[in-house]
Amino acid sequence: MSGLPRRITKETQRLFQEPVPGIRATPDEANARYFHVVIAGPADSPFEGGTFKLELFLPEEYPMAAPKVRFMTKIYHPNVDKLGRICLDILKDKWSPALQIRTVLLSIQALLSAPNPDDPLANDVAEQWKNDESEAIKTAKKWTARYAKEK
Amino acid sequence: MSVDMNSQASDSNEEDFGVNSEEEEDEDDGGEEEDQVDIASYYEGVASDVEQQGADSFDPEEYLFTCLTYKESQRVLTDEVNTVAAALKVSPAVAKLILVHFHWHVSQILDRCKSNSSLLLSDALVQPSSACRSVTAPQSLQCGVCLQIVRRDALLALPCQHSFCKACWEQHCTVLVKDGMGVGVSCMAQDCSLQMPEDFVLPLLPGEELKDKYRRYLFRDYVESHFQLQLCPGADCPIVIKVQEPRARRVQCSRCSEVFCFKCRQMYHAPTDCATIRKWLTKCADDSETANYISAHTKDCPKCNICIEKNGGCNHMQCSKCKHDFCWMCLGDWKTHGSEYYECSRYKENPDIVNQSQQAQAREALKKYLFYFERWENHNKSLQLEAQTYQRIQEKIQERVMNNLGTWIDWQYLHNAAKLLAKCRYTLQYTYPYAYYMESGPRKKLFEYQQAQLEAEIENLSWKVERADSYERGVVGGEGELSASDRGDLENQMHIAEQRRRTLLKDFHDT
Repeated sequence: MSGLPRRITKETQRLFQEPVPGIRATPDEANARYFHVVIAGPADSPFEGGTFKLELFLPEEYPMAAPKVRFMTKIYHPNVDKLGRICLDILKDKWSPALQIRTVLLSIQALLSAPNPDDPLANDVAEQWKNDESEAIKTAKKWTARYAKEK
Repeated sequence: MSVDMNSQASDSNEEDFGVNSEEEEDEDDGGEEEDQVDIASYYEGVASDVEQQGADSFDPEEYLFTCLTYKESQRVLTDEVNTVAAALKVSPAVAKLILVHFHWHVSQILDRCKSNSSLLLSDALVQPSSACRSVTAPQSLQCGVCLQIVRRDALLALPCQHSFCKACWEQHCTVLVKDGMGVGVSCMAQDCSLQMPEDFVLPLLPGEELKDKYRRYLFRDYVESHFQLQLCPGADCPIVIKVQEPRARRVQCSRCSEVFCFKCRQMYHAPTDCATIRKWLTKCADDSETANYISAHTKDCPKCNICIEKNGGCNHMQCSKCKHDFCWMCLGDWKTHGSEYYECSRYKENPDIVNQSQQAQAREALKKYLFYFERWENHNKSLQLEAQTYQRIQEKIQERVMNNLGTWIDWQYLHNAAKLLAKCRYTLQYTYPYAYYMESGPRKKLFEYQQAQLEAEIENLSWKVERADSYERGVVGGEGELSASDRGDLENQMHIAEQRRRTLLKDFHDT
């Protein structure tokens, strides 16, 4: 297809020049539409201290269609399923072409701070989160320690 | 055996006359004089006619609808669009969006317009609400989507003033229309759901092909959102069904003969309602019952919680994992079971054994489901078999007429009987999901009573239809005709079965 749209180039540049605190997104060497993302677990959340790897892909239609984002690191979260898929409205029906990679990643970071068990993707996790929040947070911390802290 | 069944059947038949007459009287209290006349004539005449039956009393399934072609339905839509456009002083394209939003309730729109027209426009997402009108002229000449600096006149915006460059709008519309969207293409700005009218979208679409696609999707969305219209679900059928009052009723397409429920466009399903039949069909289709089976047929080891399926008759279980000995019945330690093992049912009262009662519940639920499913399936199979009988009857009538044994008219009753049988059994099949989801109580008792009555009469009818069918084989052999009384008997039975069906539908369908 045609070369990389200017918008993607610009966004990539800006991500590099003014990075978002706690988020690192680097394009793949072989594919400028594929990003390796690392999000630090937000403070005061059960994910604090962990570093979570994600992959982000900009489809052909981007920015008219939403980017595809997936957790690569195992995470115990009601809006993330076993395969790492994320339930986030702006990645689906609420996508707007005016949103950017930066805003998407910020939203995911916010989702880590405020899990939303009422709109779950992983039903069992959401159930646990609703029934016994302290136990769920305990499990999430355990998973963070086990999977998100490898050096 | 078959003789026995026959005599039984005719016995219950006689009883039914009594019950039937009572019910008919109840109906009459409802106040239809025609009923009385018809019923009176029914009891006089053994030779009740098929034609007479057609005119019988009130039909709970009666529903008026018209089949419109593409052009006719376009005209219906355009008329309403023009009315609204004129009253609200908006363009037809905007009027369409408003109509879609309010499901084409024209009078409702006109009423709301009188009270507060700007609220109406913002509710329908065609005008920005006063709250978010903060965006005024474009602040910069950069398009917020492609991040390029463009000339001011290359920027386009809806009434919400969110400006983007023309190329981005084009791409936005192209992607969404290619994806199958008609109505519902909205502004590109974040958190702005202002709808794009079709006269804004159309010029942005490249190529006639895509424009045509867009027009097709729009038409589909207009019809789907219209409370009085429904597209025929038949494959590639362009017919639109129009009704006065939308209800879960049987409609049939005049072009492809597809029969469906007007409300949900699925298989017609009286007396069950749309939501229930969907639930039932999903339940039958998915494997949630597998899970149910597991919970009904297995138990967890009370010590290590591993899942155990019992594969022998002995209730003294030893867990293969943790070697714990326990009783399958009460899940208690086997040590407490001496020779008094059979008494362990009394442990059911014990609140400790919540587990066990859960198993029992799951088992009970599965039993209940299988009970209804079996009957549902069985009637489905009967329907298929009876369709074969119908075919056979058709062929035989054909043959008979060709051989100058009576005319078409003479054999119509048999044809009608087979058709009526299919109709009755179809309803009967759909009573089972209804009963499955019904809460127990007097109403369910009444339902089950009527269901049983209907079932009995249908089996009776089915038997008689098959018998008439086989009699005719005799006729070909050269031995006389089906006697007049047999024919009368069959027609009688048709009437009874249909009355049962109508009574059930009248009492339980969509009240």
